[in-house]
Amino acid sequence: MIKVNALTKDFPLSRQQRKELNTEDKIARAVDNISFECHPGKVFSLLGPNGAGKTTTLRMLSTIFTPTSGTIEIAGIDAVKYPQEARKKIGFLTGSTGLYARLTPVELIDYFASLYGVPKNELESRKKYLFDLLNMHDFLGKRIGKLSTGMKQKVSICRTMIHDPEVVVFDEPTSGLDVITAENIIKLIRDCKDQNKTVIFSSHIMSEVDLLCDDLAIIHKGKIKHEGSMLDFRTTMQESNLTAEFIRIVQS
Amino acid sequence: MIFNIFKKELIDTLRDRRTLMMMLVIPILIFPITLNLFVSISASFQEEAAVKTLKVGIVGDKNSYFAQQLNEIPSEMGAKKLMFYKDSASLMTELKKDSIQLGIITEKQFNQTLEAQLPARVTWYFDATEIGINERAEQYMKIIEVKAQQKRYDELEVDFRKVTPFQTSYQNIASDKKMVGQIAGGFLPYIFIAFGFIGCMYPAIDLFTGEKERGTIETLLTTPVARWQILFGKMMVVVLSGLLASSTALLGLFISIEFLDIVDNQEIMKIVHEVLSPLFIVSMFSLLFPLTIFFAGVMIPIAVYAKTFKEAQSIITPLNIVMVLPAMVGFFPGIELNFVTACIPVVNVVLATKELISGTLEFGYLALSFGVMVILALASVFVSYKQFGKETNVVS
Repeated sequence: MIKVNALTKDFPLSRQQRKELNTEDKIARAVDNISFECHPGKVFSLLGPNGAGKTTTLRMLSTIFTPTSGTIEIAGIDAVKYPQEARKKIGFLTGSTGLYARLTPVELIDYFASLYGVPKNELESRKKYLFDLLNMHDFLGKRIGKLSTGMKQKVSICRTMIHDPEVVVFDEPTSGLDVITAENIIKLIRDCKDQNKTVIFSSHIMSEVDLLCDDLAIIHKGKIKHEGSMLDFRTTMQESNLTAEFIRIVQS
Repeated sequence: MIFNIFKKELIDTLRDRRTLMMMLVIPILIFPITLNLFVSISASFQEEAAVKTLKVGIVGDKNSYFAQQLNEIPSEMGAKKLMFYKDSASLMTELKKDSIQLGIITEKQFNQTLEAQLPARVTWYFDATEIGINERAEQYMKIIEVKAQQKRYDELEVDFRKVTPFQTSYQNIASDKKMVGQIAGGFLPYIFIAFGFIGCMYPAIDLFTGEKERGTIETLLTTPVARWQILFGKMMVVVLSGLLASSTALLGLFISIEFLDIVDNQEIMKIVHEVLSPLFIVSMFSLLFPLTIFFAGVMIPIAVYAKTFKEAQSIITPLNIVMVLPAMVGFFPGIELNFVTACIPVVNVVLATKELISGTLEFGYLALSFGVMVILALASVFVSYKQFGKETNVVS
């Protein structure tokens, strides 16, 4: 479960940035008083154009950024007050995630498992489950730098899921991936849903959202412009297709 | 948790060829290679100089004064061949063409002036860029002058001792150890500091800026590990790399001295072995350890702030000069470790090491230097902590 209430994030602007943005404001508001809830067993999508505030929101949820104001609850934990505790419950994956190229997949997974404090007896069975599921056995001993994009993506998925998180945060997880590689992510999101995990993912691609999500929020310039179930979105839309409706809401 | 991060970063660092080169390979090879090269080149120059026949140009013929005098100088001082010219212009032309290496031009009435017991003017011409020619001219002239002087004393019937009021000698009372300390003492800490800095540089950039650039930092920050633990785990690798680089440089120097026959003097070799005592190594590392932390603490905030490897490198590389330049103070004689110099970072480490080698170190100043470096190291760690805590610095 994720509960977000009146979440706001401001970034200070340097003199150079003020000059570039042609503004006198000393801060830029990336996220402006947003609230929403994501439920277990459901996929929540944060949809918005580039620069809408999706990544900043997800970074606050995963406690990389501290909110300027507002509250975040992750699996019953106050993520603003107890970020380290909240992180134990979160799996985080972005499309631009890099991996340590000089490590092997096994070394990388062991490293992250140690950071998440996964007990050794659980780790072996967890690794076996994920390696089997993702069919990773052929390249476990190779350096990550020498793996293909698809193989790397499998390693990323394995890293995200090694501690069996209750909440999974995906920030534009398929960006830059070909359709075959992106399919691994789509499958992962569906598996998470089947396992009753809370899933939130950001995207600017309406078709991807349509394929996966149960609930959605449309964000633009840091503000939520629409929030509700995907079913409601489809039934109440004024345009002929989902993308056109998304554009209409953003521009309204 | 810090150990887990340290272990992973160390594996990652040791698998990076660039870091490995700067941390281990170059420091250990630089001294054996450069010193071996230096010894071989200087030996070949000496051999060449010993067998080379020096061509000396004289205006006049074989009966002229300098021709006679030079012929009397034994060939053990180096082979020479006399060349005779009608005038000074043709001698100078040949000298410029390098057909001859030395040219002697005397005043017109040279023999008459000499006979009149007055100072006769003589000029030696040479190309100072050619090694050893100047020294050879001075040696020849000294022999010829002493002989001429003695001749005059005899003619004037003057006892040499009566015109020599003093028998002066200058005696150096410094021990050999102190002398070695003064000459080599500045060199050793310079190596340590320079390699310590370079050793820290690549891991600092790779583990902080590199992680940002490769997009791996974001996932690391979503793990339930405190930022200070991540910082400390990484910083330990940076410090270890710096210490490894300076230690391997010392090892390389030791191998060069021990096995490449660079030092002929057995007394000096004995002193070198004495200097490298466990107490010396412990004392030196006690200074180098906080210094390396200080280096890491200066580099890490820059590496955290920089967005690309190139940007970090372009800021840290000039910093190298600022940090390593004070280390050159060790090459200057007369600068000692006192209350003021013990408070100046880098300078205090150099001077303390120098005096440690000379055996003249006061341990009060060593403690003060150590204290100053520890305070600076802690301050730099604090700055790193603050910078690493800034979310806009860590995630681009």
